[in-house]
Amino acid sequence: MDTIYTLILVPMVYLAFFVFFAGIIWRITALIRKPKLPTTLKIYPEKKPAILWALTDTFFLPGVRRNNPVLWFFLMVFHLCLLLLFIGHLELVWDLPMFQMIPHEIFLGNGFLGIILSVSLLFFLFRRFISPTKDLSVPEDYFVLILLFLTVIFGSEMDWARRWYAYEEMGPAEYRAYLQTLLAFKPDIGDVNISGHSFMLVLHVFFGNLFLMVFPFSNLMHSIFAIPLNKLRRG
Amino acid sequence: MDKQLQDKLLELFTGKLSRQVQLYLDTCSRCGVCSDTCHVYASMPIPKYTPAYRAEVVRRIFKKYFKAQGKLLPVLGEAKILDETALDELKEAAYSCTGCRRCMVYCPFGIDTQQIMSIAKLLLIGANSEPEILTMLADMSISKGESIEESKERFIEGLKRLETDVIDKWKIKAGKTPIPTDAQNADILYVALAGAHSIVPAAAIFNAAGENWSLSFFEAVNFGAFVGDPAKTKLISDRIVNEAKRLKVKEVSICECGTAFRVMKHLSGPQPFKVSSLTEVHARYLREGRIKLDQSKFDLPVTYHDPCQMARNAGVIDDPRFILQHLTDDFREMAPDPKYNWCCGGGGGLVALGEETLDFRMKSARVKADQVKKTGAKILATACENCHTQLSDLNDHYKMNVEVKFLSSMVADALVH
Ligand code: SF4
Ligand code: SF4
Repeated sequence: MDTIYTLILVPMVYLAFFVFFAGIIWRITALIRKPKLPTTLKIYPEKKPAILWALTDTFFLPGVRRNNPVLWFFLMVFHLCLLLLFIGHLELVWDLPMFQMIPHEIFLGNGFLGIILSVSLLFFLFRRFISPTKDLSVPEDYFVLILLFLTVIFGSEMDWARRWYAYEEMGPAEYRAYLQTLLAFKPDIGDVNISGHSFMLVLHVFFGNLFLMVFPFSNLMHSIFAIPLNKLRRG
Repeated sequence: MDKQLQDKLLELFTGKLSRQVQLYLDTCSRCGVCSDTCHVYASMPIPKYTPAYRAEVVRRIFKKYFKAQGKLLPVLGEAKILDETALDELKEAAYSCTGCRRCMVYCPFGIDTQQIMSIAKLLLIGANSEPEILTMLADMSISKGESIEESKERFIEGLKRLETDVIDKWKIKAGKTPIPTDAQNADILYVALAGAHSIVPAAAIFNAAGENWSLSFFEAVNFGAFVGDPAKTKLISDRIVNEAKRLKVKEVSICECGTAFRVMKHLSGPQPFKVSSLTEVHARYLREGRIKLDQSKFDLPVTYHDPCQMARNAGVIDDPRFILQHLTDDFREMAPDPKYNWCCGGGGGLVALGEETLDFRMKSARVKADQVKKTGAKILATACENCHTQLSDLNDHYKMNVEVKFLSSMVADALVH
């Protein structure tokens, strides 16, 4: 068991990040090497400055709101929570005083954000069972949602699981110690595999790793392509 | 499908992969937001008529041959081999899409289904499976461009027969030609369609405005664009470009044909002359006081259908409304507004295919008919040949009880001295 834990917590993490970054760079290079169409593909009426409107379109999804307000609500909530959780993970490694306005140890709502994320993910998943989204969806779409769901569930409920065991044994301080050794390329999983709820951490990291490796080769790349695409539409 | 043909088609596909198109193919979360934004799906809710489904028909082939994921794990994205069935699907997808780009307005990533369908159309041409009529019409336009000297005389003779009609609408000074052609250094080269309705009213208005203009020998309509053949599209628009350069005109004005206008204005690179639509020219004359219109000429409620290729896709939005203000007191805007306006259902070559597509055109544009009826208007104006034909068909089919009119002919009928 220990070997598996270590494999997931150290080499797999490195591999995942490598695949993630290399994959993204590869995808972007492949795109940039293609010739640019010289013509405009924008939609009218135009509004200036185009880049600001493209950013608004990217981050506020006005078209979705007009067409499907319920989906829009879940999409907004989902992406916002994702952003907050991303910041939360940064806080696990570094002190970010800016985000400590409300002092906290366990980041952001003790798993509450994770619940919101999970609910949104289930919503996204179940709408894929209804036509016409059902007819559009391909296995990749379900796969990515399920993967993300698993990552989120084990990550966000880690602190809840912690309460079932010796609460003080393993918490953010231990996570941080572990992550910092990873970052320094002197990996040492330290105390993160001793507590009863370590399995939560290991599963979270495992699914997270998979997620990172799938990212560059899936429609998750929409997160990176959204801005240039919206810029195209705005001209 | 034999290997040779497949290779040829994949080569055509590769040629289409510009940065923009690859972005469109690389991104689609299959969220389905676009589904009911397409008039076809909104009128006939069958999944294959959603924009994303259409795009997936092309995207699956893209994944199979151009993506690591499709090569290694084809099931993930349902990557698909390019074979005869794929061709059938491509045809169904491409020729049930009018290229109106309404879906693009709603898509969170602004994916341009028209661009993706242009790949499908090109593959069909490569496999000789495109609608033959369109290629035939395109070839006719091109050969006319090559042998213009031979047909010039007949063309000018034909124009002579229209002269009295032009003068009926607007008297000109003795000695002036009602429909000038080949005029060096003209301020405007007007490119019409074959047909008096596209020449007579426009000529009367040019004369009323005292314009120094010339009529092009060529028709504006670009069948190359309808069939999705970039080489033919260019040959067809080049005939006009060359004529404009030869005559050293300042401006080329395209008649009421949405596709011809968009191709010339936005899709064929910078030109040494200004490109405008006839509608824009008429609005300019009104603004500059060069023509005056009788506002009481039409005493019925009027609404205006924005041709997708003119409005949403080329920006001619305010000018037709400005003109209509001078034509009626009772203008009724359609809802939703121009950016979100429903396509008439006739674009992308569907109207040019005539009877063959009539049934589909009527069924797929039910939402358009409803939208028109809701305005309560009795005159339905528009500024595109395709739209005009399709709207007239819809008018009969759905008993819309309107009179479909070209905006230019309304302007010509309301001219006052
Ligand atoms: S709205 Fe855009 S991203 Fe969503 S399914 Fe349609 S084309 Fe794909
Ligand atoms: S371009 Fe128009 S017809 Fe084609 S899929 Fe989009 S909405 Fe439908």
